[in-house]
Amino acid sequence: MSARPMANLRLRSPQGRSILGGLLLPPIVTGLLCAAAMGEGPARPAQSPSEGATRSAPVASPVDAATDTAATDTAATDTAATDTAATDTAATAKAGTQQAESGKPAAAPEAPPSTRPPLPDEATLKTQFQQQVKPLLAKYCVRCHNVDDRQSGVRVDHIDGSADDQQIALFKAIRRQLDQANMPPEEEPQPTPAERALIDDWLGQGVRVSESRKLPRLGSVRRLTVAQYRNTLRDLFDLEEDLTDPLPPDGVSKDGFVNNAQLLGLSPIQVENYFEIAERALDAVLVDESQPPTIQHFRMELGRGINATPCPDALILGANSELLGNADFIVSEPQLDKPFPFRPFHMQTRFDFIEGYAGNDTVRGWRHYDSLYHAVFACVRGTPGYPHGAAYQTVPAGLLLRPAIPSPEIFGQSNTYGPMANFKVSLRQLPDRGSFRVRVRAARYEDGLLLPAGAPLAPPQPAAPTLSVFPAGQLSIETAGVYQVEVVTAPPAAPGAFSLQVGERFFQANLLERPPAAEREPLVNTPWLVLRMPAGTVDLRAQLGDNSRLKGVRFVRLGEETDASQKFTAFERRAPWLGVHMGLRRDCGSTLARVGDPIAVRAGELQEYVFRGAIADFPAPEVEENNVNYLAGVREIGVRSEYTDGRDLPRLLIRSVEFEGPFYETWPPAHHRRVLPERDPAQPADEYAREVIGRFASRAWRRPVTAAEIESLMSVWQVTHAASMDLRRSLRDAFLVVLTSPQFLFLIEQGVSPEEEELEPYELASKLSYFLWNSPPDERLLSLAAEGTLSAQVDQEFERMVADPRFERFVGEFSSQWLGLEKFDVVSIDQQRFPALTRDVRTELRREPVAWILQMLRQNRPVRELVRSETVLVNEVIAGYYGLAARVESGFDFVSIPAEKPELGGVFGQAALMAGLSDGREANPVKRGAWLARRIVAEPPDDPPPNVPQLPRDGPGAATLRERLEQHRSQRGCAKCHEGIDPWGVPLLGYDAGGRWTAPPPEATPARLPDGTEVRGAAELRDHLAHARPDQLAFSVLKHLSTYAVGRTLRYNELSDLHTQAARHREQGYPVRDLLRSVVHSDLFRKK
Amino acid sequence: MAHKLDRRTVLQGLAGVTLSLPWLEAMGAPEVRQAPARFCALYTANGMSLPNPNHGISDWSWFPKAEGEGFEFGKSTEPLAPFRSQLSFLGGLHHPSGTKADPHLCSDMWLTGAPLHNPRPGTFNSVGIDQVVALHTRQHCRQPSLVLSIDAGVGFLSRTGTISYNVEGRPIPAENNPRRVFDRLFRGDRSSLLAQREQLQRRVRLVDAVLESSRRLNRELGQTDREKMEQYLTALDEIEARLVAAERWIDIPLKPQDVSHLNLDASPEGEPAEYYRNMFDLIALAFDADITRSVAFMLNREDGMGISDTFPLKLGLGQTHHSLSHAGDKDGQLAFAKYDLFLSQQIAGFLSRLQSYRDIDGSVLDNTIVLFGSGASTTHNPTNLPTLVAGGNRLGLKHGRYWRQNDARMSNLFLSILRTLKLEVETFGDSTGTLGDSIFPV
Repeated sequence: MSARPMANLRLRSPQGRSILGGLLLPPIVTGLLCAAAMGEGPARPAQSPSEGATRSAPVASPVDAATDTAATDTAATDTAATDTAATDTAATAKAGTQQAESGKPAAAPEAPPSTRPPLPDEATLKTQFQQQVKPLLAKYCVRCHNVDDRQSGVRVDHIDGSADDQQIALFKAIRRQLDQANMPPEEEPQPTPAERALIDDWLGQGVRVSESRKLPRLGSVRRLTVAQYRNTLRDLFDLEEDLTDPLPPDGVSKDGFVNNAQLLGLSPIQVENYFEIAERALDAVLVDESQPPTIQHFRMELGRGINATPCPDALILGANSELLGNADFIVSEPQLDKPFPFRPFHMQTRFDFIEGYAGNDTVRGWRHYDSLYHAVFACVRGTPGYPHGAAYQTVPAGLLLRPAIPSPEIFGQSNTYGPMANFKVSLRQLPDRGSFRVRVRAARYEDGLLLPAGAPLAPPQPAAPTLSVFPAGQLSIETAGVYQVEVVTAPPAAPGAFSLQVGERFFQANLLERPPAAEREPLVNTPWLVLRMPAGTVDLRAQLGDNSRLKGVRFVRLGEETDASQKFTAFERRAPWLGVHMGLRRDCGSTLARVGDPIAVRAGELQEYVFRGAIADFPAPEVEENNVNYLAGVREIGVRSEYTDGRDLPRLLIRSVEFEGPFYETWPPAHHRRVLPERDPAQPADEYAREVIGRFASRAWRRPVTAAEIESLMSVWQVTHAASMDLRRSLRDAFLVVLTSPQFLFLIEQGVSPEEEELEPYELASKLSYFLWNSPPDERLLSLAAEGTLSAQVDQEFERMVADPRFERFVGEFSSQWLGLEKFDVVSIDQQRFPALTRDVRTELRREPVAWILQMLRQNRPVRELVRSETVLVNEVIAGYYGLAARVESGFDFVSIPAEKPELGGVFGQAALMAGLSDGREANPVKRGAWLARRIVAEPPDDPPPNVPQLPRDGPGAATLRERLEQHRSQRGCAKCHEGIDPWGVPLLGYDAGGRWTAPPPEATPARLPDGTEVRGAAELRDHLAHARPDQLAFSVLKHLSTYAVGRTLRYNELSDLHTQAARHREQGYPVRDLLRSVVHSDLFRKK
Repeated sequence: MAHKLDRRTVLQGLAGVTLSLPWLEAMGAPEVRQAPARFCALYTANGMSLPNPNHGISDWSWFPKAEGEGFEFGKSTEPLAPFRSQLSFLGGLHHPSGTKADPHLCSDMWLTGAPLHNPRPGTFNSVGIDQVVALHTRQHCRQPSLVLSIDAGVGFLSRTGTISYNVEGRPIPAENNPRRVFDRLFRGDRSSLLAQREQLQRRVRLVDAVLESSRRLNRELGQTDREKMEQYLTALDEIEARLVAAERWIDIPLKPQDVSHLNLDASPEGEPAEYYRNMFDLIALAFDADITRSVAFMLNREDGMGISDTFPLKLGLGQTHHSLSHAGDKDGQLAFAKYDLFLSQQIAGFLSRLQSYRDIDGSVLDNTIVLFGSGASTTHNPTNLPTLVAGGNRLGLKHGRYWRQNDARMSNLFLSILRTLKLEVETFGDSTGTLGDSIFPV
């Protein structure tokens, strides 16, 4: 697009006056890059924080709140909201510019106050205004902006020099007008540059004076976030099921966090949801003790030919149903051993279907079945074409599975039936609710390593034992060791499946025969497999087609030094990872979700591996009972050898899969007993109720319940009890009130006076636990609060809480929001350009930054490692993505390894972050720059102006992204902000939109950072930050931790205090756990 | 004083829909005397007949000849001609998610536009437009919505038996039996009404208890910033008012109506025309009595599912519905078009029935937006979805046109419909805005 002449840049009102307010620049020009920058804001469908927060909240610090543009995702579509937001930002733009112009190192907008000129007191400010500024306003502005003639709705004649909070928006708007030379209009007399600067300086001071003013501390009332509410229910009831699905997501504040008290809205529909969720929770927890539970339990055993009485029907599960042979599995409903009476649930076996299938066609006509084998199927429908070896194989000992290679999942381009090797138990009935257990008996198979086509022959060995009698024979192995199996065939070669049985071990794969070495070579040896053989005689059986071309199978012992032997040794040390999935059959595949984490199967003997979950948390087919279609409502329990990065793994042997649900260890279940203890029949009902309700409310409300509260709950109980005489029902009603009361849903810090006050002990317990665990306080915290010793023991409790597994809830929540990981969840990656970024790879990459921050905190690492570390924390999937696969043998477990590559080690090298800061096709320096400025160094850039259209995608004839950026930056009004954004992003351009390092683009130029430093590329940038700017990193970490801890945007003076707070840790290099600890000791956190 | 709710916070994130509710209109307050604005979605599976031009039967194409106001009805839509000034054809529409997903999913997503090829973890589908209408109108009528289908139940994913998905994205089981529909709508079963009342009263009592204890807590908060508590109290007040309003319906008698034309024994197993007529008559009666303002009716099912696949056979068209939809030959495509003709006759009957009932202001048809269409243009082709919008002239629709815009989004159409119904909805599914310059006032 072409740059427009400057003269056209001004937007005019019909009167020829430019409009004071946000609409200062023609959208055509301003929009381009700011739109890209805006993408750095929260990616969730956030409610616009600009309305709720900036308007109703006290005016926040200019250096942070007003300029942090996280809010602006919505800005482009919300002109009304951005009017204010945009004008708010002029102040900082100007402040930054001025310092730059005056030749000082451009101080970060959040630099400690010591680097700024001291603020005048309010009286001085007023005097300055009267003497110096007012005459200028009178001269240049008041004629059009006065009480009678309010051009563009603005008057300035009433400004009296006091920095009232109400005036601040106006001050900022005026500064913006001056800054961009929009006002006074061209044809009017213009102030001199010195006069402009005078007005501007004064206004800037006014803004800061206002925003540094201490506000009264009035305690706080903060709703639990969805995650906190979920954790609170979960801990209160020890409930596996997540009931919070109906709740809308919390709004993202401009700081990036979802726990900002102002934005935690409460609509009637949300409150209604709290009632519904409470009902469901109580349904799940409270049982009818007098009734034994009904439990479903079945087992599928697998193994070639193990079913002596197989189902005689031809089983078909729709098109391409791919079922195991009827004789290769047994389904049974064995008697469970439980320490309490229960009713076994027997699955339905009689069915009447009118819609069935013949191939892909629907056929109508009633059919009647009576067999468990029409209710439970052993299905392996998946994507065909396993690259090496048979994806699965039934052998007498069970079912062998190779790693399940994910399908690209693109309809029309690839089969959508799921991964290659996709075993699942398909079935018609599962319980609706409750917990379940899936138990898999599995082992690591004593496997051989399949050799790739063209693998070299083993060194000649005259006495290699060779099998030459087919199809079966015996072989004598004298020396135990690693052997290479070579298949001897007569030409002509023809591709075909070769299978070999060695004792009780089975192998099957295509034989890609070696081309004959010489034209007349009568027989060809093809290396096929490497395996470990014990000494002794072993039965062999081999099959290649009709065996007519098969002339021998040679076993050649390999020396330890050979490549094949070493590969095999690495191979046999690996373990397959067992994963269980649950969901439903789709016509075009499956919708499955993983049950827990995959487990490494290291043992060669069969062992039981247990997976647990809550049924309702998994996809269900939502079909009514007795649907007359054969395929309707089929559920699936997937069992896989999980794929990491395609390395060769020993196969996973599955012997049986067992389901039990609802799962109870005791009856009534422990969570029921916890709420309703056994009642002494002699105890009067109301006495029991009072005890039970009091205890429950105290636990739920995280503090002792007051006498008045107990009375009001008792009256709820009494009404229901009097009407129903049902103790459980009446208690349930009282519990429902507990769970929907503000004492449960809110974190309340009661403010007694406008002065700062210490938190009450119970308030402190909750504040600590919802900060460091994102969860309610546990018994220990509450008992310390009760004893009144908690505040004295904060340090010990801090250490205990950091070591507790619940700390991971905090880290997951905090670091995702701080680093903006949700952008990675929503960015639509161009599959053609980044085929390696599959769904499974994305899942693992998403975990990396969180694991990294967790490790930094637990190990108290210095803050510089945030951006520059000698190590990376990876598992096989992530290492594979970064090209480090050869150095990791950890499956899905994270391990620390040397980074080695200069682009790795620290957040910049983390693909989830860099890819999230792209558009899925191209790296975006503006997004990355704005992110780095805001989140990593806490030098937030300005809001983009309003009405900015999205950056157009590259199309035919369009300039490159860089060129478009360049054009944009050269525009007046855009350049200044982008000086604070782009230099941070340009060095990161070497990471492509998939987050991987590629060669830096040829046009890569050094970037001049706002502090004047020139850096070239990511490595120099991170060195600079790590060595020259650790103060800034520490401040940023502390700022984000503190903001999250108190759940609101910090004010200017509070941010200033953080610099002092951080400085105490400078000498130690700012260890991050120490920074975290300093938060829980700060007045900001401890006072209300 | 409670702060006004940020309207956008109200329903953020409800499975694909961003909307806000007119909650602050008092729920129990007497209705303003104006005609109710209603919505009715009618779905036919497997697309419409768009014959191969080489067969020389182009006048049997479902889409009209010529665009704009000068359009001409094709032979298969001719029965709709009397309603020319009360309907429009819409062309070029599609769901962007539709082309990415298995084509059998097109009925599942017709009213939702959900990305079923890559569902958000933990979700099944997303809310449909009929349920968004229901959410906004339920406080005015007895039934939030009426969900009908040729087959009862929900079918299953990719072969759905219902086109209606609730705010959580779960399928709503459809009714297919005229008698059961009638009993549910017009003959409240006394014992279930009593149970319902008991439920409502219990909830009112519990909400009241929470409200009371919240108020006390609020008083005790002293100097604490109480804005959020006020918000909570307001929300509780709203809920209580709504519950009370819901309970009130139980005692209000139904509008007297003539139902003598109904044949409640009509069944999908019998004559198709008779069955459809009765289902349509029930919808019209429900609208007339303002029992509900949102209806979704799946006329037949995708891919040979269910009884409706046999209807063309019963009508003497030689093949099943699914087979006809796959026809490439002239005879087959003509027969398929004749099934379209049959459907047009049924729709025309429905429109005249709606036209015959009077609202305070115009006819029921004038205050109802009827959406008729399919999730595929021809079978398994989820682009250029055949779409007809009828009624709603009093709501500002400018009818009598064949409007067409290539690759226009269905979700934008839905947003236009919702806004025309005066519902404060910001976005719907993957909408990028309203349909723009079209037949809608917004």
